[in-house]
Amino acid sequence: MSNSPKTVLLIDDNVVDLKINSKIIQLSNLFDEIVACQSGEEGLNYLHKALNHGDKLPDLILLDIQMPDMDGFEFLEIYKTLPKRLMEVCQIAMLSSTLDFGDIKKAEASLYVIKLLRKPLLIKELEGLL
Amino acid sequence: MSAPNVRVLYIDDEENNLQAFKASFRRQYEIYTAISAAEGLKVLQNISVQVILADQKMPGTTGVEFFKSITDTYPDPIRILLTGYTDIEALADAINHGDIYRYITKPWNDLELHNSIKNAYDAYRAKIDLRNKVAELEKTNDELNRFIYSISHELRAPLVSAMGIVNLVKMEGLYNSSGEYWSLIESCSNKLDYYIQKTLQYYKNNKTVSENSLVDFQQLIPGLIELYTYSDKETTFTVNINQKENFYGDVFRIEVILGNLISNAIKYQKENETDKKVNINVEVRREFVEISITDNGMGILNEHLEKIFTQFFKSKVNQGSGLGLFIVKEALNKINGKIAVSSEPAEGTTFKITIPNVK
Repeated sequence: MSNSPKTVLLIDDNVVDLKINSKIIQLSNLFDEIVACQSGEEGLNYLHKALNHGDKLPDLILLDIQMPDMDGFEFLEIYKTLPKRLMEVCQIAMLSSTLDFGDIKKAEASLYVIKLLRKPLLIKELEGLL
Repeated sequence: MSAPNVRVLYIDDEENNLQAFKASFRRQYEIYTAISAAEGLKVLQNISVQVILADQKMPGTTGVEFFKSITDTYPDPIRILLTGYTDIEALADAINHGDIYRYITKPWNDLELHNSIKNAYDAYRAKIDLRNKVAELEKTNDELNRFIYSISHELRAPLVSAMGIVNLVKMEGLYNSSGEYWSLIESCSNKLDYYIQKTLQYYKNNKTVSENSLVDFQQLIPGLIELYTYSDKETTFTVNINQKENFYGDVFRIEVILGNLISNAIKYQKENETDKKVNINVEVRREFVEISITDNGMGILNEHLEKIFTQFFKSKVNQGSGLGLFIVKEALNKINGKIAVSSEPAEGTTFKITIPNVK
């Protein structure tokens, strides 16, 4: 797995953060491909397409919590129903600036989330996940 | 002398009583009369009255039964029961089921009845005022909650984006490219972020009711250290936890207290100290937990020791907000904890806290 090219999927409604985090990850050289989606729906479309066409599945999803229409937790509810082979290769970390106690506890409790990362994203935190 | 718009409904099956009542009180109140419970109900359906008087002994239904029947549909008017003779059973029933304000025997004394109606009206006003105040408070509280939620999201999100940009600038080696401008932006952003976090903590500590649960210090302390060394890993922590007893307490407030003390221990190190150290000792006992946090930092001047827990106290040498230790003290007050401090300038500081085990 360490030899194959790595892909990260960023899901965040905030265009500025999407830009900043893509750039940070690019400079970190931890991933070969960075896919940026502006909503949970766009993220799910990308996953469906990759699953259907046998494309490379992401190794990591960095998921924002607060998003209009579909928030991070709603995204996770749908993610759960996707084919198992996705979950075998892909991990999810939430990436948020939230200080809301409820949000933090919910993210920590989720079975599908390996960690809640705080914005601003730091490379050493990202390295810690891999 | 009375407010002319007090609306009184009097129900009695004896026409004479209704007439007498009207004659005595029509100048003081807006009076509605009804010859039966059914008639009385019709009045209630059309007029919003504040005081209801009902005779106990009426054909078909008693006064208490009538009051009972309207407890859900017309809960607001204050009820007065009139009765021709002292009927213990009716009295007991009135108290137990009828939500009755006064019990008056017939023939009534005009002055006594007048005073009762007046008092009943005051009780009505008090009830309505209280309800309005509660509604108002609930609304304010809701707004405050929304405001706090928006502080923790909307207000902080763009600030954190700016902090991300500064990180990016560092990674691209541009941090020193514009003199000290980038570092100034960074320290301003950090300061603002710190204030946002403290404001939230202060508010939550004041508002949230204590919720006690099992506290595992072996898990809690390393978690907090990780959180506060997130962007500064220069300090070495030595942690010693002795927990053989189950400890129950308010996890949220304990986290706030220890978090602030740990973050202070990191923040107030000596600038040129090469061996920055913090020792944390936790001793869990049956009745309470004792926690001490010791650093080898810049220390606190003797004359400042008494003031450090007051709101917005800042010493000249450090860049604190004057909120951290104030919040620690407030949070400890909520859970009946205690704090003591000893310090030697340039040597270091020890905070000792004791928090009761609530089991």
